[in-house]
Amino acid sequence: MPRPGFVLDVDRSTPPILFHHGEGFRLERLPAGRSRVIYPAEPIEPLKNPDAAIRHALVNPIGDSEPLTALLKPGMKLTIAFDDISLPLPPMKRPDIRQRVIEAVLELAAAAGVDDVMLIAALALHRRMTEAELRHAVGDRVYDAFAPHGLLLNHDAEDPDNLLFIGTTEKGEEVEINKRAAESDLIIYVNINLVSMDGGWKSTATGLASYRSLRHHHNVRTMQHSRSFMDRHASELHSANWRMGKVLKDSGVKVFQIETTMNNNVFGTEGPMSVLQKREWEWSLTDRISMAGMKTALDLMPQRTRRQIFQNWQAPHAMTSVQAGEVEAVHELTTANVYKQHLVPVEGQTDIMTMGLPYISPYNVNSILNPILVACLGLGYFFNLYRGKPPVREGGVLIMSHPTPWEFHPVHHPSYIDFFEQVLSETTDPIRIEAEFEKSFAEDEWYRHLYRTSHAYHGVHPFYMWYWCSHALQHLGQVIIVGGDVRAVRRLGFKPASTLQDALEMASDVVGRDATITHIHNPPILMADVH
Amino acid sequence: MARIPLNRSQTTAVVKRLPINRMVANTVGRSSASVSRIARALLTEPTVPAGVHKEAKVSKVGANYDTDWARTYPARFARLIIRTTIMKPIVDALASPSLEGVDRLIDLDGPVIFAANHRSHADTPLMMTAVPEPWRDRLFIGAAADYWFTNRVLSPFSALVIGAIPVERKKVSRTAIDTSLELLADGWSMLIFPEGARSPDGWAREFTSGAAFLSIKAGVPVVPVYLLGTDEVWSKGNRLPRRAQATVVFGSPIMPTADDDNRSFALRIQNAVALLADEHSSDWWQARRRAAEGVTPSLQGPPADSWRRAWARSGPERRGGRRSWPAV
Amino acid sequence: MKALRFERSIGRFAAANIASRLAPGGGAKVGPLRLRDIDAPALPGEGWVEVLPRLAGICGSDLATIDARSSRYFEPIVSFPFVPGHEVVADLPAPIGHLAAGRVVIEPVLGCVTRGIDPVCDACARGDLGNCERIAFGSIEPGLQSGFCCDTGGGWSTRMVAHSSQLHAVPEDWTDEAAVMVEPTACAVHGVLAADVAEGDLVVVLGSGALGLLTIAALRRFGRPCTIMAVAKHPTQHQLALALGADSVVLPHELTRAVRRATNSLALGDGDIIRLTGGADHVIDCVGSEASLTEALSVVRPRGRVTMVGMPGQVHVDLTGLWQREITLAGAYAYGTETLPSGERRRTFDLAFELVAAAELGRLVTATYPLSQYEAAITHAATAGARGAVRIAFDLRNEKERDRA
Repeated sequence: MPRPGFVLDVDRSTPPILFHHGEGFRLERLPAGRSRVIYPAEPIEPLKNPDAAIRHALVNPIGDSEPLTALLKPGMKLTIAFDDISLPLPPMKRPDIRQRVIEAVLELAAAAGVDDVMLIAALALHRRMTEAELRHAVGDRVYDAFAPHGLLLNHDAEDPDNLLFIGTTEKGEEVEINKRAAESDLIIYVNINLVSMDGGWKSTATGLASYRSLRHHHNVRTMQHSRSFMDRHASELHSANWRMGKVLKDSGVKVFQIETTMNNNVFGTEGPMSVLQKREWEWSLTDRISMAGMKTALDLMPQRTRRQIFQNWQAPHAMTSVQAGEVEAVHELTTANVYKQHLVPVEGQTDIMTMGLPYISPYNVNSILNPILVACLGLGYFFNLYRGKPPVREGGVLIMSHPTPWEFHPVHHPSYIDFFEQVLSETTDPIRIEAEFEKSFAEDEWYRHLYRTSHAYHGVHPFYMWYWCSHALQHLGQVIIVGGDVRAVRRLGFKPASTLQDALEMASDVVGRDATITHIHNPPILMADVH
Repeated sequence: MARIPLNRSQTTAVVKRLPINRMVANTVGRSSASVSRIARALLTEPTVPAGVHKEAKVSKVGANYDTDWARTYPARFARLIIRTTIMKPIVDALASPSLEGVDRLIDLDGPVIFAANHRSHADTPLMMTAVPEPWRDRLFIGAAADYWFTNRVLSPFSALVIGAIPVERKKVSRTAIDTSLELLADGWSMLIFPEGARSPDGWAREFTSGAAFLSIKAGVPVVPVYLLGTDEVWSKGNRLPRRAQATVVFGSPIMPTADDDNRSFALRIQNAVALLADEHSSDWWQARRRAAEGVTPSLQGPPADSWRRAWARSGPERRGGRRSWPAV
Repeated sequence: MKALRFERSIGRFAAANIASRLAPGGGAKVGPLRLRDIDAPALPGEGWVEVLPRLAGICGSDLATIDARSSRYFEPIVSFPFVPGHEVVADLPAPIGHLAAGRVVIEPVLGCVTRGIDPVCDACARGDLGNCERIAFGSIEPGLQSGFCCDTGGGWSTRMVAHSSQLHAVPEDWTDEAAVMVEPTACAVHGVLAADVAEGDLVVVLGSGALGLLTIAALRRFGRPCTIMAVAKHPTQHQLALALGADSVVLPHELTRAVRRATNSLALGDGDIIRLTGGADHVIDCVGSEASLTEALSVVRPRGRVTMVGMPGQVHVDLTGLWQREITLAGAYAYGTETLPSGERRRTFDLAFELVAAAELGRLVTATYPLSQYEAAITHAATAGARGAVRIAFDLRNEKERDRA
């Protein structure tokens, strides 16, 4: 029986606590008496027979929807959209959930005599997926059946010929999505709900949308009004997507949503990585040896090798639920299932929050976690993994640990380099950045070219990363990065510290001597439910 | 040199008195009887008097060969060594196999029956190396008793190296079934070629219901497997194999349903392999579309004359691929 | 008199060349430059006068000479042994012509007038002193400027001679530091006006040493309104570049991307830029190395102009782009008479005086050294940027011999 997440009060007997630190780890002693650690739940039981569960979900839909078997008709136009490389994290061992679901869907489509089928990676403004990545996601069988005929595509948010303007929401937000999808008799969306932010109308209204449409909710105002964007009902980001979903629905776009959830089994229960999801006082001799060995070995390796090793890690996480049918009803259930794994009840806020940032974020799979992504991972994703209120009080201090190297993947993140060199050197204020720089990056011909033909994130994407941080930037009194490249950290507008002790000292200038501390023991992912 | 205590005539006399075949005994009787004649006489069995019913001797080889010893740990270890150090390198070198669909087995647990089409002697070693862990280490094979267990040299060889148990082609033998069911219940997985024999022309024979019967009896799933290219590696009738590319396509496991009988389930297995064949030659989606319409190309090929069957099988690519005349 | 003298010695040239590869400025210790006690130069003729240097700057071309890295091109237009130092503010002990006694700045080009050549060459007649065709002829030994000629002496000593036409009076209220910046400022002014920047152009200034910074200041004052993108390696340079009028300052490795963004250009290369399709309208190269010239050619737009203000040498550069993109590559040396965008003709030195005062360029002199510490001075000058310095100069005001007759 997997144990739920819990909050540990640090005392003098508490062993050093694990902090992820990019492609490495730190073991830090937290001050006794005023610190607490939030631990994630252990991986919950996966579905015994995932394929059968998928088939069951398809014919027993949730909400106002007919079974998929009834929706599939000969001669219809069917589009299957699926989540891109940003999910799940880290990438999962084969077979990917998407492969299972898509194969099950296609089996039914074949039986129903559907000829016109198109598969689209719903990547919005993310980079196009490579052949290997697509093969991993949908499986070789589906790839070989569709890709050679041009029926398996990456969505292109900058292709004027393949976008369709649908309408505007009551708040004036323009809705424009992939034309093929919009003109299909049915869109089947295959989702992986890693965190509670994913899924729902965000799948279609964001994943298949154009820049013109996305800018209405990917902006500073929306992010500052999403408290947090991980909590659908308190998230302006989601409200906007739901409004857009209504426009889609009213215009006759029909979506059959298939959402899946997965458990926290990121590092496995065996092997050297398994120590990373154990609680420190339960580390066995083998665990201690493997941690010591890993740390030593990693220290000896060049950065490139370390990155390769970590990027090659495929997580054994397994599917815990699948639900299909009408978008909103499905998503309610999905969210509840995600919460089952992630939610940890926490009492009240503290002055300081600490977190160890791992090597991966949604935007650097097979790539480099550049400084902007470091900021986004900490201030955007981890900070927002709360329901109610953040675990750190307003005006408090956030201490993150990551090497933050001044390094970028030139193919994947070309506009990030320019954003870092030319925008952040001017200002780190999201509002100024949005007003002064966004347009020129979003409309830059070269970025557009690289996004459409190579494997680059859209020119505007680094801005979104920065907007993602805006709620945290507004909330926090200071951000400190431990063990980071000093110049890069300063460029981000944060304070560099060489050790956690230094960082805590620096923080005491802002929040006083006896400040209380919360450490978020993530990953595996947890979501603080703060009362 | 040690002296033989008897001279030739004395020996002849002794031998003649033994219960041996009379006809042979007579040849020994001549004074010029050679050593070889004496030996032959000794080896022949005596003639049986009329009216006496002699118990038929139970053959120790053929279908009755007892292979239990081949599943003891030392034998398994020896098989592992042979497989990894001899068989695998040879298979890799000759057939450079590509495996497809292994991911379909990921949720599978416990013993299974791998049912593959059969084209060549290369099929067995190929499958033995291609079947993924954990099934590979506890795999046994139903092999034709009249081919693989004909004598006392070949029988242990078959049992040890390929982990075979003897199965009779023509009739349902109790022993084979009992052994198979026992082994399946014990957690061993089975490799079986339901066609019963290698195909003569590359097109498959009708699948017999052996695999289906065992699956239903043992409650074990069947994994359909489509083998391609092994006839290029070692075609029936050739004495030696040659280099070619082989492919192993694993299908999704199928379980017999409540209304399946041996015949219908065997047909389902055959269709599953046919679907894999179609999937491999076209693609997964088209194969499924054809399967849904019931027009999956038959494994047995078109019902036509032999040249047209051969012609259909070779396909335009293969026709152009290998020229039988020298290049000019 | 005490002087740093540059002597012809093959062995020392070789040693300097090797030493400078180990550390910039390394040529000072082992090279052909030596601190000597020599006779003060005699007056070469009519119109010449003895002056007593107060401050003498160390310029990039001096450093190249000391490190034995300057081109052999100079051999016929210098005369050994010479005392370097051409950025000089000096005391004029007695009035000469219309000039009263007092502080003067020397305009070092040794043109026809100083050489007693009459009539003067066409260039001198036009006032383009830097282009004088007679710098190896006439009544004094070859030498393109004071500080490269064996007859005139140079600023790195306590006494030198100068022709009255070379002297410019320094206003009373000026510091010596401001005055010593006039000569390099004149170079920058000339370079900027030679580049002839059009209104609204993007101008990239490569290098933020003294010459680069002065070029930025000159562009702002005398050029048409344009966008200046400066390239600076070190923080002090960065701040000064902004203070002197650069619109943006980038690190060297950021330049290509910054130019691309600023010009909305496309680029070849998958995220890593191999080449820009467009580029800056002008590049002013204030470094003059192989790397800087290559960089300049890679960020200038087709039909753009690269102006070399820094002194190059023998460089190895792929000129295919210059050909295919029809780039103009031009040099800008020294000074003379300029035509301002308004059409007005003025002496470069007069403009330089104006700019030094207006932009308070005296602040660029970071440190001064006595002659005896010349090795330290030269090392400091060679590593100025990294050490937060801009211009290093010799301070001769406290040399004892100065007061001796």
